[in-house]
Amino acid sequence: MVNILIAFIAGAMVILSMIINSTLSKKIGVFQGAFVNYAVGLVFAVIAFVITKSYNTIDAHNFQGLPLWAYLGGAVGVVVVGISNVIIPKIPTIYSTLLIFTGQLFAGILIDFFRDGVVSKGKIIGGILILVGMFYNFYVDFSESKIKNIELNPNV
Amino acid sequence: MNKLSAVFIGVLISIMISFNGALSGSIGNYPAVVVIHIVGIILVSAILILKKQKISFKEHIPFYLFTGGAIGVVMTIFNNLCVNALGVSLTLSIGLFGQSVAATIIDHFGLLGMETHKLKPKKIIGFSIVLCGIIIMTIY
Repeated sequence: MVNILIAFIAGAMVILSMIINSTLSKKIGVFQGAFVNYAVGLVFAVIAFVITKSYNTIDAHNFQGLPLWAYLGGAVGVVVVGISNVIIPKIPTIYSTLLIFTGQLFAGILIDFFRDGVVSKGKIIGGILILVGMFYNFYVDFSESKIKNIELNPNV
Repeated sequence: MNKLSAVFIGVLISIMISFNGALSGSIGNYPAVVVIHIVGIILVSAILILKKQKISFKEHIPFYLFTGGAIGVVMTIFNNLCVNALGVSLTLSIGLFGQSVAATIIDHFGLLGMETHKLKPKKIIGFSIVLCGIIIMTIY
């Protein structure tokens, strides 16, 4: 239950950091913004590392036993920032958000399948319901601001 | 093509979250978040050098714009905790719900300098469907 709350808060933080980082990127450039983001992040990560005295529990064997891909999460994050910046302005927000959600959700289900060897019906049904709910809400927003959107964006 | 790329962004986010989860599962959450940021900063620096771009702070930048990285650290630690306890898909689904609720609140009150878009009562239907989906995912 606590984990569910934490995952929810992490999701809310995604929106906050997206707004902040995109505003920063508009002022100083995409990769410059990402650099500041990672640099500030690194400082705070090191502070958290020191405060929690994590250096006491570090074991070199754990580092060596890991496949290379496990270290690449940070790099994938940079790629996400780079691609998003090219793609997202080119498609209407209603599509981009839903398409990203869809990719995330079904890749997540697939990854769980590779990790655990099974994919539960509940995850697929739940995943579809989540998309239906999201789509419905986007549709509500979209239908009421249609005229405005078409004027702003001839591609809609 | 662009639409396919948007799906691909989502796939990459899931891959990133599972990579980070695997890393923190074996070396610990706090060491992992340090490694993740070091790897990220190396790649960004390489891109900036290759593109011969410089960072300049000529324009006045309000302080809060520098806090994104700090939020990112907390977010990464939270995600890593949850991925190892809940799996990737459930962590992501709840996260997506958190995102839409946060976005709705920010829009409703026009926070962080965003335009105000009042919450439409109809959208509560959509949120309820999403919540049902999450509950089904959790209990199965």
